[in-house]
Amino acid sequence: MSFSRIKDISFPLIFGLVLLVFAVIPFFASRFYQTFLTELFVWILFAISFDLIFGYTGLLSFGQALFFGLGSYTVTILVREYGFNTELSLLLAIVIPILFAWFVGYFSVRLTGIHFVIITIIFAIIGNIIGETWTSFTGGSDGLTFSPRPFRLGFLQINLVDIKGNYYFVLAIVAICFLFLRRMVQSPLGKIFISIRENEERARLIGYNVQRYKLIAFIIAGGLSGLAGGLYSITLKYACAGYLHWSVSGHAVVYTIVGGMGTLIGPVLGAGIVMSLEHYLVDILMATDLVVGIVLVIMVLMAPKGLLGLLRLRFRRG
Amino acid sequence: MISQLTVAILNGIVWGLIMALIALGLNMIFGLLHIINMAHGALYMLGAVVAWYLIEFTGSFWIALIIAPLFVGLIGLIIERGLIRTIEDKPITTIICTFGIMLAVQHLVLIIFGGSPRRISPPITYRFPIFDLQYPSIRIVIALISVAMMIGLWFFLRKTKYGLWMRAVVQDREMAVGLGIPVNKVYMWTFVLGSALAAFSGILAAPIVSVEFMMGREVLIMAFIIVIVGGMGNLEGSVLAAIMISLIQGVGALFVPPSIATVFALAFMIIVLLLRPQGLFGE
Amino acid sequence: MSKTNEVILELKEVNKSFGGLLAVNRVNLSVSKGELRALIGPNGAGKTTLLNLINGTLPVTSGHIFYKGEEITNLSPHRISHIGIARTLQITSLFSGLTVYENIWTAVQSRKKFFNPFVHALKWKDVKEKTESMLELTGLKDKAHLICSELSYGEQRILEMGIALSTDPDLLLLDEPTAGLNSQESLALVRKMREMLTGQSIILVEHDMEVVMELADNISVLHYGSIIAEGPPLEIKENEEVKKVYLGT
Repeated sequence: MSFSRIKDISFPLIFGLVLLVFAVIPFFASRFYQTFLTELFVWILFAISFDLIFGYTGLLSFGQALFFGLGSYTVTILVREYGFNTELSLLLAIVIPILFAWFVGYFSVRLTGIHFVIITIIFAIIGNIIGETWTSFTGGSDGLTFSPRPFRLGFLQINLVDIKGNYYFVLAIVAICFLFLRRMVQSPLGKIFISIRENEERARLIGYNVQRYKLIAFIIAGGLSGLAGGLYSITLKYACAGYLHWSVSGHAVVYTIVGGMGTLIGPVLGAGIVMSLEHYLVDILMATDLVVGIVLVIMVLMAPKGLLGLLRLRFRRG
Repeated sequence: MISQLTVAILNGIVWGLIMALIALGLNMIFGLLHIINMAHGALYMLGAVVAWYLIEFTGSFWIALIIAPLFVGLIGLIIERGLIRTIEDKPITTIICTFGIMLAVQHLVLIIFGGSPRRISPPITYRFPIFDLQYPSIRIVIALISVAMMIGLWFFLRKTKYGLWMRAVVQDREMAVGLGIPVNKVYMWTFVLGSALAAFSGILAAPIVSVEFMMGREVLIMAFIIVIVGGMGNLEGSVLAAIMISLIQGVGALFVPPSIATVFALAFMIIVLLLRPQGLFGE
Repeated sequence: MSKTNEVILELKEVNKSFGGLLAVNRVNLSVSKGELRALIGPNGAGKTTLLNLINGTLPVTSGHIFYKGEEITNLSPHRISHIGIARTLQITSLFSGLTVYENIWTAVQSRKKFFNPFVHALKWKDVKEKTESMLELTGLKDKAHLICSELSYGEQRILEMGIALSTDPDLLLLDEPTAGLNSQESLALVRKMREMLTGQSIILVEHDMEVVMELADNISVLHYGSIIAEGPPLEIKENEEVKKVYLGT
């Protein structure tokens, strides 16, 4: 988890290759599979935003669902009730969660350890309760459906009701966000986040305003979680109060831990593997959480640094 | 109005006592083993589910109340010996591990028990009149049993050898080892006790709420909040905080929609956390 | 270690109580620029607490602290770092999962007011150069790529000092740098310290009297939170009260 493990030459190559593979898949894959992958992309975005605050900055927040849910409701309600276009509603799906993250973060980062975890959960619970009870606005647990408008930027227009169009749209946005985060964690700002994770007191003693940087990380993660939520709603054409429940944050936690925290690639891998596992097992066992639970326990026992950590150990020895 | 208020207060106290038992188990496990046991809610649920099966089998709520916690205590033993002991002490690791256990247990129950909630009929159906309403005496009995359990716990911790050992380990682990106290055994039995307590609370709660595989989820969070607000390691604080929170929710629900009352209770928790991170009664 | 008469740090009637316990009791202290002041006293005398008050980790209960004439009482630790005060801790405090290089880098980077969050950090020439020169200074250059947990305890202490020095302090607060080292290692550390220090003012909390006698310009003796004696090393060595306090230890 040191600063730069990936050699600068090979990363663009691998990234480009992976993108290429994903770009080509829709020509071979069924519509169901395309939707599955689109959802995967959204969860990847959610997971990497969680990795920013947890893997890189050391803040374990189970409250990210609040921002995810906010993002998804922002898009859904703005388009459905007020006729906003997609571009603006997605922008607001980032901005509004950022504002909330600022508020929640401002109070939460004053606390550390289990207190931080609890306070972020409490904020998420409050959000969930409001979502469930304010049914006139949010549709409660039944939720709201809508039909996304096409995305327009200059000459570009993408029809988001079309599965393929939506697939490429989400893929592009998530890829950009991944690069954005990657740049950030390799930058001086990233180094500050990492130093806070490694030893908060030391970071403070050498002059970093730890609370301020924690807040910055929290806000960025909140905005990206919101974007993920917005994209999720566009993909499923739906938002519900369940998206605000703290267990949704649990997904990000699981993907990040399984894949390897503090690596950005780890959450991507983790999301891919766990979601695929869940998908294939749903038919067989109807027990996806069971598998996820067992996987988590095994991971914690044998591979505390996640799959990526295991792979790294192999490379270091061999 | 007065009768409604009385009922709300009584219900608040009853539920608060049940939550207090859950929080006590959680607090003990945290105070001693420094483990944040995310599976605690699942153990609570397991107690209720096992009790349901026992009642189906034997027809007796009381038998279930005694046997089921023992069974769940055994599960706790397996968890502690098999898993907790082998993982490193970092808080994140134990959170993730117990979170995984929670997911697994919940889903196992979903497969075996099914997804629909089931009821456990209260063993006592007598209702006694309060003002113009009839109040189910089972709730009073539950409250009394909870209090009895807390008193029992108090005796155990203060007056028995094992209780003394537990308190010694909490105070100073190194010294406890030096004094020849079998610390590992203490850890194990504490976890077992905490698990059994959670299960016990689940059975007490079952006649009031219904039994379903998800029932531990919300309870877990509330229990954590209670522990933190009452002060980690402070057992009396947990009891007081539990009753307090429960009363705010219960009485508040008379004047505002119940969910808003919960929101108020939660907002109150946030304020406490920010002003006194060590909890209302912690040092 | 030469010193001038210019006062760099001044404590006036500083008190710190925890509940009923008075940890620091009406401490008045004055350190000159370039001076190395040793702070000694039995365990629990309040030495670390005093350092914590100076560097802002703990708030004072009452009293004032002045640095270069400006009041710094109760400033937060990160701001204290930026005005030129650096601190090492009794229990080594490093970025344990990171390499030696990254540890120093992070400290060097802290002096930069502005940075670009989209440029790869390691392309920052300024910081890179300073990091390498600090690595030279600490003598850990050939171990730069190691994770600090792979260093020996003594090397970790040196690294921590390197981190502190990388923040360009004028005042160093050193908390028992030789703690946990045997006499050989202590000597090596002291030698290294002499090499690394370039005239900063220093407050040194120490238990090792040899080290204190060798390095200190002046000694302040703390007992139950109060300063019971203060003066040059030879004077303190002969001081009756001090002997009484220490003979019991």
